[in-house]
Amino acid sequence: MTDVSIRIAGAHGDGVESSGALVIKVAAKAGLQVLAYRGYGSIIRGGHSWYQVRLGESKVKSYGEGIDILIALNQDSITNQKSHLNDKAVVIYDPSKVKADELDASKYRLIPIPLLDIAIKASGDPIMRNTVAVGAALKFVGIDIDVLSSVLKAQFGRKGDEIVNQNIKAAAEGYNYQGVQTLYTLRGDGKHRYALDGNTALSVGAYAAGCKFYSAYPMTPASSILHWFASHEDKGVMPKQVEDEIAAINMAIGASIAGVRSMCGTSGGGFSLMVEGLGLAGMIETPLVVVESQRAGPSTGVPTKTEQGDILFVMHASQGEFPRIVVAPRTIDECFSITANAFNLADRYQVPVIIMMDLYQSEHVETVEAFDVDGVKIDRGKVVTDGKDGERFKRYLVTDDGVSPRSFPGTKNLEFVAGSDEHTELGDLVTDMYAGLDWAIEVRKQMHDKRMRKIETMLKNESVFVPNVVNENAEYFFVTFGSTTDSAAEAIEILKSRGRNFGLISFSYLMPLDKEKTRKMLEGKKLINVEGNYTGQLAQIIRMNTGIEIKQGILKYDGEAFTGSEIARKALELVGG
Amino acid sequence: MADANAPTKPRQVLTSGVKPIWCPGCGDYGVQAGINKALADLGIARENAVIVSGIGCSSSMPHPFSTYGVHSLHGRLLPVAAGIKLANDDLTVIGAGGDGDGYGIGVGHLVHNARRNVDITYIVMNNEIYGLTTGQTSPTSLFGMKTKSTPFGSIENPENPIGVALASGATYVARAFSGDPMHMAEMIKGGIQHKGFSIIDVFSPCVTFNNINTYDWFRQRVYKLESVGHDATSISSAMERSLETERTNWEKVPIGLFYKVERPTYAALDMTLQKGSLLKQPMPTKEKVTEILKEYL
Repeated sequence: MTDVSIRIAGAHGDGVESSGALVIKVAAKAGLQVLAYRGYGSIIRGGHSWYQVRLGESKVKSYGEGIDILIALNQDSITNQKSHLNDKAVVIYDPSKVKADELDASKYRLIPIPLLDIAIKASGDPIMRNTVAVGAALKFVGIDIDVLSSVLKAQFGRKGDEIVNQNIKAAAEGYNYQGVQTLYTLRGDGKHRYALDGNTALSVGAYAAGCKFYSAYPMTPASSILHWFASHEDKGVMPKQVEDEIAAINMAIGASIAGVRSMCGTSGGGFSLMVEGLGLAGMIETPLVVVESQRAGPSTGVPTKTEQGDILFVMHASQGEFPRIVVAPRTIDECFSITANAFNLADRYQVPVIIMMDLYQSEHVETVEAFDVDGVKIDRGKVVTDGKDGERFKRYLVTDDGVSPRSFPGTKNLEFVAGSDEHTELGDLVTDMYAGLDWAIEVRKQMHDKRMRKIETMLKNESVFVPNVVNENAEYFFVTFGSTTDSAAEAIEILKSRGRNFGLISFSYLMPLDKEKTRKMLEGKKLINVEGNYTGQLAQIIRMNTGIEIKQGILKYDGEAFTGSEIARKALELVGG
Repeated sequence: MADANAPTKPRQVLTSGVKPIWCPGCGDYGVQAGINKALADLGIARENAVIVSGIGCSSSMPHPFSTYGVHSLHGRLLPVAAGIKLANDDLTVIGAGGDGDGYGIGVGHLVHNARRNVDITYIVMNNEIYGLTTGQTSPTSLFGMKTKSTPFGSIENPENPIGVALASGATYVARAFSGDPMHMAEMIKGGIQHKGFSIIDVFSPCVTFNNINTYDWFRQRVYKLESVGHDATSISSAMERSLETERTNWEKVPIGLFYKVERPTYAALDMTLQKGSLLKQPMPTKEKVTEILKEYL
């Protein structure tokens, strides 16, 4: 086997998340590749939750469908997860708490371990039963116990030797329990990689780009960005939890006007409140980065489940027209690099940039290679510092590229008023006493042209506004954006093993699009859009921009993330074979 | 322009030459003069002042000034102003809004920025009516007031903005009247000098759409708290005075300083701002980013 999926299941409050996190850390340290995803509900205690950690010898691209090793922390875990068990799956459970009667003992490897009893004997702390179970699970995948011990030592070192030793003892008891044996041997390359989720990568990317201000109102799945900034406040950033998303975006706009790179973040519901502020940033040409991590809608929807249903909304949110950039990082690495670039794009073109995440991309953890920190360059765009005494500053100067010089408050002789009404080059309004006058009509047109012209400028100056094509000579192409891309890439590998030649056309920059180049890249190819929504929003965007209609799609809107095997299966249903 | 009360010299310094949109006789001219005088008296350089407005007649306020300004969204001037102040603590940030803007659509931001004690000065031109939308009822319109949207008389009680500000934790709470611009300038000046969230509720009569709360109406009713020995260090006395309008059915209307207290500003308590203005803090080095990434190994 080249990959193994371990799923820990239990109630909220059972320590499912921390157990999963432990498996991830140990596997990464053992030099394996990992992709982990958590299923949970809007409840703090009780209910059912799971954490699937898929370990691989090479890069893992989706969280996988089946379970090879299940740690069942309660009875519900057997009942709810049995349909996901692969043949011969290992099921670790505590017979004093959980009965495995409903499982066919000839189909699975049932491993009853008195987890609670061992935990209490080792430490007196019942929660350590999870450590016992993790110890056993890691033996099944052949990870050396020393790696587990060293991770436990690092994790609990601050709590003192006693706690460390209790954990190590508990883990070893599980590892060495009778019947626990190494069934799967994964041979990684031994390289210890970073393991982090999309929101963390995005936050580090923002930090690297010099984002010092982050304002938000708590909302799943964006909250962990706020938590990241809050836990790094001592590193020179200012996180602000404010009264609502309206305050969040307007405060970020204020900080940006003052010259500080600023970001706000939310999910679709909070973004709905931010929409008016987005238009303000567009009108007064203030750089701004907004994160929208999608979850299943509409309304409160399914707050802890993923979807890609907000793309068209975000692209068209706000009254009127103004240039904006919409990006959707395809990988954890892009969560870092595209976020860092988002700040340059916002500054260079003085526009809002919206980073489209989704719950899956925000929360799933992957092992990744080191980010290109050296590659992060900071470009503040047309910032001016020298003004002329006695001459009013033309903040909204009409230029060929549409971008005007920008000053920060505190700079002498460059004072101006940023107005949400239509305004002249000086920032004076043309909407009140001059509305309808010939010159004011002309100014309105000129300023609207100026702002909109920035789209042509970005398309001319930036090479990013086109999709990426893999396997140019394929029979069929999956067309994806954002987080779905890697799952589709995995599907392509599966299809290849079945003799089918699929390619991939994926978008991480969605707006604006270089229409002509995009059309040429798509033209004449057999396309299948793979999206996490009902209406095929990417296909609509493609048709809008290129006239190309994609006639076959794989669409998912049940709240769960795509897996590679699922896409491969559905693709074969569509194309036959 | 009717800002005849403003001293000649500072007006030269702080004027952009842009005319505000106000009707002749509008109370907002007095507020403009008051801000002008306060900034000039305090010697604040025009590049270091930012006047932030929302939407409504009051939103014209930044335009006649030669300072920095933002004419933002309806009800949202406080978060914009707070963002500017948090990003650059060296600036003097003045919010200039109206009653619909600040006590209606944006009242949540008043509560939260007051309790944060962000060091900004918030001036509310309170004319008890929606002027720019041609005369609808406002959160401070008197009970029974007939407006375009309440032709049979308003059935809502007016908000008590002084009470809201006090209850929310504002550390400088004052009221002024456009008919007394010199007193108003003093109130504004005090607000700018005060370290913390200052609010000055200004009765700024609308001469076009409010024929009840006129200059004369206010002149007959207002009295200065300073003249009656009000103890502005006592929040209970301040709260009591804020209720006087309702208790006397608007027969006695106090203006002046209701309350002032020294409390650490938001910036003084903020871990990051204790190291200096956010704008001036260095961008992270590659080493710092790499160091942070080690948390995920």
